[in-house]
This record gives sequence, structure tokens and C-alpha cells, in this order.
Amino acid sequence: MRPIAEQLGQLTRLEELAGQNSPIHRLHPGAKLAATGVYLLCVLSLGRLQFGRLAPYLLYPVVVLSLAEVPLGLVLRRAALALPFCAFAGLSNLLLERQVLLWLGPVPVTVGLASCGVLLLRALLCVSAVLALAAVTPFGQLTGQLRRMRMPSFCVALLEMLYRYLGLLAGQAGSMLTAYRLRGGSGTGLPVGHMGSFIGQLLLRSTARAQRVYQAMECRGGFTGGSAAQKRPFTRNDWLYLAAVCLPCLAARAVDLPLLLGRLFVC
Amino acid sequence: MHMSDALLSPTVGLTMCAVSAGALAVSAARVQRSQLTRQKLPMMAVGGAFVFAAQMINFTIPGTGSSGHIGGGILLATLLGGGPALLALAAVLVVQCLFFADGGLLALGCNIFNMGVLPCLVVYPLVVRPLLCRGLTPRRLSAAALLGAVLGLQLGAFGVVLETQLSGITALPFGTFAALMQPIHLAIGLGEGLVTAGVLCFVARVQPEVLESTQQARPMEKTASVKKIAVLLLCLTAAVAGGLSLFASQNPDGLEWAVQAVAGSTELEAEGAVQEGAAALQEKTALMPDYDYADGEGNGTSTAGVVGSALTFTLAGGVGLALAAAKKRRAKQRAAEQG
Repeated sequence: MRPIAEQLGQLTRLEELAGQNSPIHRLHPGAKLAATGVYLLCVLSLGRLQFGRLAPYLLYPVVVLSLAEVPLGLVLRRAALALPFCAFAGLSNLLLERQVLLWLGPVPVTVGLASCGVLLLRALLCVSAVLALAAVTPFGQLTGQLRRMRMPSFCVALLEMLYRYLGLLAGQAGSMLTAYRLRGGSGTGLPVGHMGSFIGQLLLRSTARAQRVYQAMECRGGFTGGSAAQKRPFTRNDWLYLAAVCLPCLAARAVDLPLLLGRLFVC
Repeated sequence: MHMSDALLSPTVGLTMCAVSAGALAVSAARVQRSQLTRQKLPMMAVGGAFVFAAQMINFTIPGTGSSGHIGGGILLATLLGGGPALLALAAVLVVQCLFFADGGLLALGCNIFNMGVLPCLVVYPLVVRPLLCRGLTPRRLSAAALLGAVLGLQLGAFGVVLETQLSGITALPFGTFAALMQPIHLAIGLGEGLVTAGVLCFVARVQPEVLESTQQARPMEKTASVKKIAVLLLCLTAAVAGGLSLFASQNPDGLEWAVQAVAGSTELEAEGAVQEGAAALQEKTALMPDYDYADGEGNGTSTAGVVGSALTFTLAGGVGLALAAAKKRRAKQRAAEQG
């Protein structure tokens, strides 16, 4: 795991990005959620050797991330988190599937190499798409959309409260860790023998905080959830965005666009 | 153990989303109707945030030079109870997926199932709770935490293997993949078990009421009606049958394999007028011979799965109704004889 301060910094950075005011930020969260869903389904439903057909799908994250001004380094760092397990599955394909699929000049491309490439590219595309959604939609709007989708308000309230206290408790864990290290602890992690009392302390502090939150909620008359400002209807722009993302995605899924493009140039 | 979207096919991803959504809906309904919602909500939210924060603290794995962190499923279930812990863990997984790229959006169903449903709704009520209900001694707490963490992680890791294999993403044979995943997660499970045991023993020593309040709480009222549960199970079965039957193996099953070994073919040739007549009758009455449409292109597999499930349910329901009616009739006869 990366240092706590670095992780919290990334959460704050995404919050800042989501709070901007670009045309994509102003869209209805439902439209952005639906577009991401259709995109993911199209990308994942392609065959495990169709490397070339993934190419048109690069456009969506590239356009959205650049409009939202999300730095490429952030995307690549996040994708690197998802890659180890995918790389493990991909490398096993590389070793086990050695039949030659095609020759690129003198270089043989094996089935394993193609499937490994597809797996890694898919991982990158999916992470970018989800990150794009988080970077252009404030968390409050996403939970508001979940409420509109008839998700039990109790679960949405839980999600909102968890998000609210995430930074607080992670910060507390960071302070405790710094204090531990200043008193002589060193190395990448804590000894297993110290973990029980360390995490136990964090747990007791969290429990005490939960009780204070409950009492504060009771004083305010309970948790009401969702504000009226989140309830806005779909506009023409939202439908246009949905069509602009979904139709090309579905077209690229139905037709081999790179092949058609290639035929324009190669007989 | 967070699965990425790239490791899943849409069919497996969506089917697991439906299964996890069902488990979450049942847990949410139970928590909401238990009259403890207002009290439990902040504890669940802060508990989820606590797991998230605790996952950021690594512990050194002795003798390896590497480090790991806790998953928190069993710890949270021991503190909050199975259902509330599942809801809190699901919220943690949603935030991790959206903001930290830990697990995919379509893979959320798989991740909630592997890391939430299995430890909280399977391992906790079947293994951990029975051990703890006899008293919160350090020995019982340690045994429950260790056993719970190891079993939870083993089941979760097996879930990952199964879901990846069903998606057809890796060329690794099932046995090899499982043989690689299970021992790694056994070591991780032991580490997590030790840490969980340490935390629970510490809390039991310093502030025992935190654990006692959950373990001594009366079981939640069974407010969900049998009808609703039956409908939910029916929908889940339809989703699983419709989704996963697409992966029905085209290799011969055990019986067919044995027949092939003896006769050289999976289909035994029937001889004689009686057999021919029976076969012709079967051809006419079977809606989907051999689970396929007449074109033999395999298009019938999925529909046949759903129809098959419905027929099985109808048959099972019919048998149940017939047995209940027979029991009633017998009781009436006995009453009449005594009267």
C-alpha cells in the first residue's frame, strides 16, 4: 500500500477535479453513469484476441479525461494498481498459448501475446473510464442518482456518511502511524505483534466517533439525505451526450471499424 | 483480491452483480426493519471508514521481507453482525472502485460477493458466531478470528478462480490456477487471522462492551416474508441459469464419458420396434431436444436453462403441494376416526 498521505491527496485531487465546471461536469449524473456502463459492456464483450477492435474505444477516455483536465500520470498510476493481477493472467496466456496467430514481418505474434495485450489494454481502458466518471461527477451527484434509481435510502446514506468520514479516519490512522514511527518504529510495516493494539486503538477511537455522530444526528432530528438540488430532469444535452457515447460504442462493437478503415488503404 | 473489469466477461460480471444485489437487498431490508437503523447507521459508516483506514496500515510478514494489510470482513462482522457488515463493506468497495481503481465497476458484484457475502453471510454465521456465542474468552476470540479469516479468504480466492475461469480470460487450467491462488491466500489468511485476533482480544480487554453488545444482541426479527424470499431466489436462479448455462460444457459429462469409453460413442443406438417408437414419441414431445433448437446452433442453451429452472420449480412446488394435501387429508381422516 502507498503512504496514507499520498492516497488521501489523490482522493482530494479527484474531488477538486469533480468540482470543476466544464460542459461534461454539467451533464446529468445518470447520463454519465449510463454512458460508462454501455462503454464497459462494449469493451468487455469483445473477444480475447480482438486487440485491434479495442482501438476505437481509446477515444472516449481520451476525450473525457482531457476535457476534465485529469492528468495522464494520475490515470496511469491508478491503472498500475489494477495491472498486477491482469498481468499475471496475461503472462500465463503468453506462456501457455504459443500458436502463431500472424506474422508482423519477421516477428511472430502468438495467441498468448495477443490475449495478453487485449487483457492489459482492457484493464487500462476500464480503469480510465471509471476514473473519468469519478473525475467529472461529484460524489454527492452520484449518490443522488443512486437514490433516483430506487436504491434504498438507508444504503445511500451509509455510502455518503462513509465517504464523509473516510478522510477523517484515514488521517487519524496516518497521525497514529507517524507517532509510532517517531517513537522508534521503522521499516515498511508494523510488526504483527503490535498490530492488534494499534488497530484496536483506531477501532475504539472510531467507535467513540460513531457514538458522537449518532448523538449529533439525533440532535438534528435524524438523517434526511438527498437535497432537492440534485433532482433535475434530463435535458437535451444529456440525451445528446448519451447518444454521442453509446452509438459509436455500439457501432464499434457491431462492426470492425479498424478493419473497414484498413480496407480503405489496403486492397 | 480486488478483481478488475478486464478479468471478467459481461455475462459473469452481470450475473454476479445480480447475486450480490440480492444479498445486499435482503441485508438492507433486515437492518432497516430491525428498529436499530438510526443507531446502527453511524456505526456502520464509521466501521466502513475504519476498515478503509486500517487497510492503509501494513504489517510485516515475518521471514518474507514483504508486508500485507487486513481485509476486515470478519472483524467488521464480529463488531456489527453479518448483514450490517456486508452493507458497510459494499460501501467501502464502491468507494475503492470509484476513487482508487481498486476493483472494477462491472466487477463490483464479484468483489462484493468474494470479500463481503462469503465472509459476512457464510463464514460469520456458520463458523465465527457459534464459537463466540459461548463466551468472549481470548482463546475463543483467537480461534474464531483465525478460522474465520482463513476460511473467508479461501472461499473468496476460490471465487476469484471460478469467476475468472468462467469468463474464459486466462489459459491457465482450473487446477493450476486454484493451486496457485489457494496457498497464497492461506498465508495471507493466517496473517489476517492473527491481526484480527489481536484486535478483538485488545478490544475485549480494554472495552468489552463494544463486542458484547453485538454478540449478545437478540437475533434480528425475521421480517422478510417467505413469499418475498422465494420470489428473490426464483429471480436469482433465473439469472444464474440464464447467464451461466451459456458456459455449459460441450464435453461429455461423467455418464456420457463412461458410455463413450465402453461403446465408442456417447449416443447408444437403440434397436427394435419398441425403442424406435419411444424415440419417435420423445422427438415429438420434447420442446428442446438435447437442450438445443432444431438448428443445432446452440441458441437454445440459455433459454433452455431458464425454462428448465422454471419446470424444476413447478415440479418441486407441485410435489410440495401434493405432499401437504396428502398430509392434510390424513390428519382429517385421523380426526374423523377419533371423533
